Amino acid sequence: MALLGFLILFPLVVAGVLLAVRDNRVRNAVVVAAALVIGIASVWLVVSYLGAPWIPFDFHSPVVDYACMVVSVLVAAAILFYGIRHKNAAACALAAVQVAGSLVFEFAFAHGLPVAQGLYLDSLSLLMAFIIGVVGSGICVYALGYMEDFQAHEPEGAKDRRPVFFALMFAFLSAMFLIVFSNNMVWLFTGWEVTTVCSFLLIGYTRTEEAMRNAFRQIVMNLVGGIAFLGALYVCAIQLGTLSLLEFLQIGVQNPALVALPVTALALAGLTKAAQMPFHTWLLGAMVAPTPTSALLHSSTMVKAGVFLLVKLSPVMYAGSFAPQGGLLASVPAIMTVLVGGITFALCSFMAISQTNAKRVLAYSTIANLGLIVACAGVGTPEAVWAAAFLILFHAIAKSLLFLCVGTAEHHIGSRDIEDMDLLFERMPRLSRFMMLGILCMFIAPFGMLVAKWATLVSFAETGQVALIVILAFGSAATFMFWAKWLGKLSGIAAARENVERDVHASEWAAVMVMAVLVILCCAGLPIVSWLSVEPYVFSVYGTLGQDISTSNLWIASILSIALAVVLFAGLGRTKARKVDVYLAGVSRDNAERTFQNALSGTSTASARNWYLEDVFGERRIAPIGTACCSVIIIVAFAAAAVSLPGLF
Amino acid sequence: MTYATKSPWVIHYDGSSCNGCDIEVLAALCPGYDVERFGIINTGNPKHADIFLVTGSVNEQNIKVVQEIYNQMVEPKVVVACGICACSGGIFHDCYNVIGGVDQAIPVDVYAPGCAVRPEAIIDAVVQALGILEEKSKALQAQRKGA
Amino acid sequence: MWYDMSLFSVLIGTLAFAVLAPVLGCLLAGLDRKISARMQGRVGPPLLQPYYDVRKLLEKDNVSVNSTEGTYVTCALVFTLIAGGIFFSGGNLLMSVFVVTLSGLFFIVAAYSTRSPYAEIGAMRETLQVMAYEPMVLFMAVAFFMAAGTFDVAGAFALTAPVVTVIWPVLLGFLFVLTIKLRKSPFDLSYSHHAHQEIVKGITTEMSGRTLAKVEVMHWCENILFLGWTGLFFIWGTPASVLVAVIVAAVVYFLEIWIDNNFARVKWQALLKSAWVVALVAGGVNIAVLAYAPYLM
Repeated sequence: MALLGFLILFPLVVAGVLLAVRDNRVRNAVVVAAALVIGIASVWLVVSYLGAPWIPFDFHSPVVDYACMVVSVLVAAAILFYGIRHKNAAACALAAVQVAGSLVFEFAFAHGLPVAQGLYLDSLSLLMAFIIGVVGSGICVYALGYMEDFQAHEPEGAKDRRPVFFALMFAFLSAMFLIVFSNNMVWLFTGWEVTTVCSFLLIGYTRTEEAMRNAFRQIVMNLVGGIAFLGALYVCAIQLGTLSLLEFLQIGVQNPALVALPVTALALAGLTKAAQMPFHTWLLGAMVAPTPTSALLHSSTMVKAGVFLLVKLSPVMYAGSFAPQGGLLASVPAIMTVLVGGITFALCSFMAISQTNAKRVLAYSTIANLGLIVACAGVGTPEAVWAAAFLILFHAIAKSLLFLCVGTAEHHIGSRDIEDMDLLFERMPRLSRFMMLGILCMFIAPFGMLVAKWATLVSFAETGQVALIVILAFGSAATFMFWAKWLGKLSGIAAARENVERDVHASEWAAVMVMAVLVILCCAGLPIVSWLSVEPYVFSVYGTLGQDISTSNLWIASILSIALAVVLFAGLGRTKARKVDVYLAGVSRDNAERTFQNALSGTSTASARNWYLEDVFGERRIAPIGTACCSVIIIVAFAAAAVSLPGLF
Repeated sequence: MTYATKSPWVIHYDGSSCNGCDIEVLAALCPGYDVERFGIINTGNPKHADIFLVTGSVNEQNIKVVQEIYNQMVEPKVVVACGICACSGGIFHDCYNVIGGVDQAIPVDVYAPGCAVRPEAIIDAVVQALGILEEKSKALQAQRKGA
Repeated sequence: MWYDMSLFSVLIGTLAFAVLAPVLGCLLAGLDRKISARMQGRVGPPLLQPYYDVRKLLEKDNVSVNSTEGTYVTCALVFTLIAGGIFFSGGNLLMSVFVVTLSGLFFIVAAYSTRSPYAEIGAMRETLQVMAYEPMVLFMAVAFFMAAGTFDVAGAFALTAPVVTVIWPVLLGFLFVLTIKLRKSPFDLSYSHHAHQEIVKGITTEMSGRTLAKVEVMHWCENILFLGWTGLFFIWGTPASVLVAVIVAAVVYFLEIWIDNNFARVKWQALLKSAWVVALVAGGVNIAVLAYAPYLM
């Protein structure tokens, strides 16, 4: 248990130290050391509790309760401060509601309901801890080099606000650890709100008008989720008389109809955090932030907190949909989650096709994949949860790898547009191979993401979720399109361009390598990860093993991914073939540069842009449909779940 | 034994001509003559072609095009000049910008005169070209083994 | 260990497929050209013409526009063989589908890597084609699972009736996208064997000699695999059903040749729209019926 406390508190201490450090070299040393310590500690934790079932820890402390309350008030105060300064009425109103609500809750209800076992861990928490500890701290190391370049690009005399930046990054990690280890739902809620406000400050880091606008959009949406969370706490405290997550889940599994409203509310909180439609715009807006922030928000933290909560709730939703006595009411949260997740997956995959901005493509792909995880959580069968856990893992590592690569590429080619990544294979040979690895891992067999999607498809087929099968089939097809054309752009070779990756910071390489090695290890060791980490969780929750894909097929996938990694990093570029020019139909001027003699005897360049199919898959066409459908689904679900409140009707 | 003669893929380029020979080449590919009987395929891509059929003469404007197509064809390859213009410049030989026959631009292996060249003559020329293609193919294989 | 056996059978299957599929595929391609010629009132080439073509391509000089294209195409060929091995050794149908998609991806990347304007057009069109047929292919696998109770191809031999009896709409939908997968007109956007409707040579523009030979062999193997998928609809618990499956596959291929010779290439919009609508109607409805029928009876 000491290790849990260490993981939660240590990043916080580091954050405090970093706030005070002004010197670059000292900061570099502190961040690297702290990242190493956090990484090693989380790996140690994972190893020492490998395959653990639910292990609660007796820990109850009024001091922590009060600390959490103070933090909550501080969070709300910070939001109010910025809300007033930037004249954002919605944020102020929501923050006011929240601070009032949490204070009333703390004094009127929470003290009467102590949670004896404040902390816990299980295999899912361990998986999350691994992601936060290794991927999250890797991103922090990456940020060192990145922010140095970023600061260099700032106008002369701009204030160096990097201490705040790094402090926020580590505070974020601390809050995430709190979320995954808290059995006390009030503590969990505190971590939840801290991630909200940290990401608000990180998104608004540049303080430009656009950044502030997007930061406020994030805070307003996540405050809605936060208030829903608070509402769930009220219902738990008043109606169920417990604030322990475990007890809540146990009550829920036994009587899903009873907890329909709090589960719906918590699911809404999860949906907002996981940026599902109609809340997806905050994640798109978050792209204005420096790339390490995007990487942190997208891959290992923030959005993962949302899906983590939903996966935790999935046994209750499963019980709700299959409970004979529950009726329709009990299945409300599951239906809402499944539909919102499924619709988000398909529509965001479609919209990703129409994007040329690499970070926006990554954002849409993140939202889409989270949608799939959310849908899996809503289905809630052991098989679906198995798939969801793998989606979380592979998405975290592959997406962070991609973000880090895009960030580095952006600083060296001066653009984050996919069309400008033309010929990256020669301009940044190592980086482009890492990027290709990340892309492959995101969408194609035999890599992890696709194995998880495969499991998802099987679990949908087994439970007869027709709508989800249809959504998955079309969404996956769109996924192929937008990744394949990006991969194609990266792979282009012409004109022996100058290598521009020689001055990439060592810290950036280190982080990128860590992610790449993790991707390969996890893909190659997929059956082992399943056996040691994911299966124990599924077994501890459901008492049965849910695995859709036979171990032999997992091994085939593992062998093929190793082969592909070898081809990518050792096999490409070796050939005995004599090099010849490409065909340009007519007279080439400079074949390597793809220029040819045109009809007026002038020189034209042959260049091709990818297809973005704006007329078919454009945002303007698709986003309103998704927003409208998902909003209606959520509103109807709440109306239906409210029926369960005693005394309302 | 070489397979080059069993699957000659053809690319056709029409230089400065009256289009008469051009049409005859296409006629040879039609059902009436059906050159696919001999495995002949008309391809638009020099990288896939073994035989370069040129109709019409070479002029200042197209000489580089003819040369580029020839250069982009993969060894072994042969060139057939179809029609009198391709052989020598024909009635266009003293036009102000005509250089002459195809052999002014690239090495020609078989000459098939005629105005316009008849499909039978084209097929006959291609069959002759196949003999040369076989020689070249064998030479390439010997060279590869030696290397 | 049972899973070692399963890995072993995939390995054996892949090796057997690597030997047999090119032979069968080559004969099929020869037959295709022969029948096409007869439909057009021509004599057509010898039956072994595709074999001569490939042998000739292997004799050509070894050239390439870059250092990676050949490797990508080799990967595409190898993964096609593995997909065939998985399928014909009775392995997982979905796995076979996914590995074929991987092979398709490598083919696309090979064309992209040349950065040639014509090859890129072909690559983009091929990507679109994959997007167009992928939903229906997934529906095919899911419908097989719902009808047979397993994704394992070998499981079909334990059935009392072939799956086509309950998933015939999916078969029709699958036949529709099969035209795309077999690269037949009107859906041969990315490249076709007919010179008359090509932007130079689509996705294979920059491939020559042995690289093109690999593409041809890959295409033969793909055709055999896709016909295998088609035949799977007609397999049930008697060895004679294999004969039925082969006959059906032959009839289907003849139908595809007939379609190929009777339709002009469509635009990509028509391809995407029609393939998705067919998938949604044939696949979606059939799967819905399979999922909900037990509750209605």
